[in-house]
Amino acid sequence: MAKAEKILEGLGGFDNIVEIEPCITRLRVVVVDPSQVQDAVLKAAGTFGVVRSGSAIQVVVGPEADTLAEDIEDLR
Amino acid sequence: MTLVITAPVTGRVVALADVPDPVFAQAVVGPGIAIEPDDDATVATAPVAGSIVKIHPHAVVIGAAGDRGVLTHLGINTVQMSGEGFTVHAADGDTVASGQKLIDWDPQAVRASGRSAIVPIVAMQAEEASLTMLAQAGDHVTAGQPLMEWADPA
Repeated sequence: MAKAEKILEGLGGFDNIVEIEPCITRLRVVVVDPSQVQDAVLKAAGTFGVVRSGSAIQVVVGPEADTLAEDIEDLR
Repeated sequence: MTLVITAPVTGRVVALADVPDPVFAQAVVGPGIAIEPDDDATVATAPVAGSIVKIHPHAVVIGAAGDRGVLTHLGINTVQMSGEGFTVHAADGDTVASGQKLIDWDPQAVRASGRSAIVPIVAMQAEEASLTMLAQAGDHVTAGQPLMEWADPA
């Protein structure tokens, strides 16, 4: 759960998240304000990397993407 | 032990950097290679022997010997197709043989939906130098044919 909390923090919290969708090894996230996404925090959470395209943020986490997406939703 | 990764689909080899998806092209998941499947390449097989870490209709991660994960992804943005047109023949935790049929799909249907049907095969979190390519961009490969070797991380 600590990892999910870290990722949530790195994404700027629930207020900044429009949608999270897991896809095998990545979390596809749509955010309100991309400037609130902190790559360093996401990296420190143990993720492989972050790829940005405007408000679409992809956080590569490995095969636990489904579980992590659920863990993040459970924090709501 | 060197792990031989075989082609999961029949088609033409493409460099991973040329896959139309930044996460794959920038090797964020890991280094690897891709195959642009033939129209009739409707069977996706296991690229390595191991146990299935995670299987989705459009993608599968297999954990092979030496804690090496190999990702096969059928098409780009195909998660949005919600499994339609894909038939899965294995489940999480299953032990599979290299070359075993895992998923039936239709590359032509993926292309018709406006998406790329390209199949990235990724050595997850591998050191680039630990991979040896056994096929080059432009080669035509048949499912089951050796594609690359992944040296033991030892």
